[in-house]
Amino acid sequence: MNFLTPLFFIGGLAIAGPIIFHLIKRTTRERTLFSSLMFLLPTPPRLAKRSRLEHLLLLLLRCLALGLLALGFSRPFFKQTQLDDPTAVQPKRIVVLVDVSASMRRTGLWAAARERVEATLGKVSAVDHVALYTFDRAATPLLPFEEWNRTPATDRAALAKARLAAVSPGWSGTQLGTALMTAAEALAESDGKQFPGPRQIVLVSDLQAGSRIDALQAYEWPKTVTLTVETVKASKPTNAGLQLVADSADTSGAAETVVRVRVSNSADAQREQFKLGWTRASATGEFAFVGKPIDVYVPPGQSRVIAVPIAKDAPGLERIELKGDDEDFDNVVSVIPPGQQRLNVLWLGNDAPEDIRQPLFFLRRALSDTPRLGVSVAARNSTAQLLPDDIATASVVFVTDALPAAQTAALREQALAGKTLVFAPKSAASAATLGALVGREGVALTEARPTNYAMFAEIDFKHPLFASFADPRFSDFTKIHIWKYRKLDAAAIPDARVLARFDSGDPAVIEAAIGKGRLFVLTTGWQPDDSQLAVSTKFVPLLWSLLELGGGGAAAPAQWFVGDTAPLPPGAAGTAKLEKAEKDVRFTEPGLREIKVGERVMRFAVNLDPNESRTAPLAADELERLGVPLTKAEAKPVVTGDSKIVLQGIEAENRQKLWRWFIAATLAVLLVESALAGWTARKENSKQTEAAT
Amino acid sequence: MSIRSLELRARAVVEGFWSGMHRSPYHGFSVEFTEYRQYTPGDDPRYLDWRVYARTDRYVIKKYEDETNLRCHLLVDQSRSMNYGSRGHTKAAYAATLTATLAYFLHLQGDATGLLTFDDQVRDYLPARHRAGHLRQLMHALERPSAGRTTDLAAPLERITSLIRRRALVALVSDFLAPIDQLERKLVALGACGHEVSVFQVLDPAELTLGLEQPAMFEDLESERTLYLDPAAARAAYMKKFTEHCAALRAMCRKLGISYHLLATDQPLETALFGFLQDRMKRGRQFRPAFRGSNGGSAP
Repeated sequence: MNFLTPLFFIGGLAIAGPIIFHLIKRTTRERTLFSSLMFLLPTPPRLAKRSRLEHLLLLLLRCLALGLLALGFSRPFFKQTQLDDPTAVQPKRIVVLVDVSASMRRTGLWAAARERVEATLGKVSAVDHVALYTFDRAATPLLPFEEWNRTPATDRAALAKARLAAVSPGWSGTQLGTALMTAAEALAESDGKQFPGPRQIVLVSDLQAGSRIDALQAYEWPKTVTLTVETVKASKPTNAGLQLVADSADTSGAAETVVRVRVSNSADAQREQFKLGWTRASATGEFAFVGKPIDVYVPPGQSRVIAVPIAKDAPGLERIELKGDDEDFDNVVSVIPPGQQRLNVLWLGNDAPEDIRQPLFFLRRALSDTPRLGVSVAARNSTAQLLPDDIATASVVFVTDALPAAQTAALREQALAGKTLVFAPKSAASAATLGALVGREGVALTEARPTNYAMFAEIDFKHPLFASFADPRFSDFTKIHIWKYRKLDAAAIPDARVLARFDSGDPAVIEAAIGKGRLFVLTTGWQPDDSQLAVSTKFVPLLWSLLELGGGGAAAPAQWFVGDTAPLPPGAAGTAKLEKAEKDVRFTEPGLREIKVGERVMRFAVNLDPNESRTAPLAADELERLGVPLTKAEAKPVVTGDSKIVLQGIEAENRQKLWRWFIAATLAVLLVESALAGWTARKENSKQTEAAT
Repeated sequence: MSIRSLELRARAVVEGFWSGMHRSPYHGFSVEFTEYRQYTPGDDPRYLDWRVYARTDRYVIKKYEDETNLRCHLLVDQSRSMNYGSRGHTKAAYAATLTATLAYFLHLQGDATGLLTFDDQVRDYLPARHRAGHLRQLMHALERPSAGRTTDLAAPLERITSLIRRRALVALVSDFLAPIDQLERKLVALGACGHEVSVFQVLDPAELTLGLEQPAMFEDLESERTLYLDPAAARAAYMKKFTEHCAALRAMCRKLGISYHLLATDQPLETALFGFLQDRMKRGRQFRPAFRGSNGGSAP
């Protein structure tokens, strides 16, 4: 047995104490009352014979308790020779979590982070299980446990370093809470077996205040998982961020002449003066201010909202930049200047424009301009020659009358390319036109006149056309009376889907796919001769839904953040990276993105997550407050020679903790001693009482 | 001491003693006629026997034996030192029983008894009376616990001297474990007033021999002073001092003609009573010529 602090054996000398006390006859503490001490003089206490020990068992117990206490304090341990054997070390399961969010783009941070990761990898032993993850908005495995374990022990660190060298900080925000949860779950999964050793997450991050950790609030952190934070610090603390204050769709009118941005300065910043303004790339590729920049004063830890005027004389400005900051990764916002979107609607029919009983009259009034959207309805006679531009620029084509074969063919061609058509026949005579549009012979329309009136029933509110009426407050279509309609067999149209039926069961609204485009068939018109639809509250929303389905009119967010996924209308093809038609697009970089949807170009202003600009360090206790046990990373001193033996001793003692047994034994001996002493005292007292009586 | 009631204890002690041992030396109104004598001028005309005058035409004085004229004042020490007892009962209990026994005995004889309890000052005083209920009142006063601490022997003697006018018997019951320097002067004053004094020194056997074995912290009951003491080592010195103190007290009593009784609390009370009465009769014979009757007649 070895001892860590053998000096405590000196405490064992205290054993002499009980021996001396046992030699001295105990001075009684009992008091005897006597009538008067006037005839008495004090006498000194007597000593018993020094050669005679009284209460030998008690003495032994007291000496034993003191001896055990001294032994416990000297921290005994058994030296184990297998300490040097690395296979005897308990394996650890470690997830190294590396921050690759936008804030890590600051000067020197990424290099420092890589150094920390390499240092961590250098410390792991051959038996440890290690996984390398990067995280920004989500954690991504760079080197999973399985791959680490498959790789030979000598190549593991090199492989991990190579994987890390291949990545660099991106532009996304930081979801630290989600990443920690992913890492903790990765630690918990160990091929169905309970991993016996300690589990640890090593977080290498700048731990900026904008790292979102609120996801941990609803997460019960595994008790066996500890977190070690390796914080990397930026050399320049000043970081001001720029954020676009997005207006809502209602206020962003065409008349808007300013763009509002928020300039926020980090809490530990050393600068307060910045310059702000529109920038444009010069011939040399550098971005320079257009016009005079705005001087901005923002104290550390505060933010200011600045209105940047839109220069009318310099169109095409889409970039606002902040200068005078140490770190420029978050100093640019892309802005799509507010403006009115124009949509063209083509009307093919024989209506007189001012005939108040015809469909065109109601259509023009329903599709009046809004600040955000201007709609031009181009009415063409069904028999007139159709210009190619008319069809190409129109988002939606309305057809109410029978068309000549040439025009029908042209329309079908456009529909196949992605155009949206709305066919609302005024009479059953247009059946041939419908047949030609859907490319099927034998499509028949028959006039139907209900006894009193028909009503809409069986409406598919899940379809985007009726989705805006899905709320029970708006879903009542029974007040719209249908005087007459055209009966159509939906089965006759290929790829047809009935979106609404009349109460008689006949289809009211049919959607049919024609190539990339689609055709909506309304079997009743909205004009007063057919129904009350035009004068109902459902008419205008229904038309706007048709326009949106035609690829226009939907309110797009003023800005997107890196990492967001934007849905795309069918038929979108990217100009830069989006080569194939896809349903949505995920933004990975800030800036302006343009995506072609048919003939239209969709523009997206993609900016940085504003939280990335909050680069002041996160309070250390924030993670602990959410129940994550933190262990501080401590640099281990270089161990050589004797100190290594000492360290091994400390480690062995820490593991064995024999001192606990000695303290427990001391307590047990003291308990026995107390009981024995009590019993002895009672016995002596009873003897004395007997003697007195 | 096993009988709880003090009155019953006293009655039990007195049992067997009641045999008319005691006769009053005083003459007064009583039923027991003793003799006639010739009237001399100055005699109280109330005592003239008018029937003899009518028959013989001579003035004759009628004399009776007065059995109720003894007044006894019992002075009892109730200081804290009296609360010591090593034999199951304290000196205070023994002293109270002794006092009650004397009172009961005298009451049965028709004598008037009074009581004065004291510690460092006079606590209770009952004048000497012989009437119904007085004995019970006296017993209650004896049973009442005392709040006093130390012993002052001079104060009660001074007080009783000032209180009683008529000649009486004064019995002082105490352990006398206090300085007796002032005591002599007060006793002389009491004797000078014609009172007969008896002293009862009540002591515990442990005090007489320091019969304690175990060394311990000894605490003075009166002063609460503590002292570590090994009785075996301190016994010789104690006995010397204690014997000297008692001898001094005894010598003083002898000098003043005061009867002195040393009573150990393990001694039967009957013995104490017997010794007292014997002494009383002896002294009564010795001192009777010196006393005068309350009716002005001379004692036989």
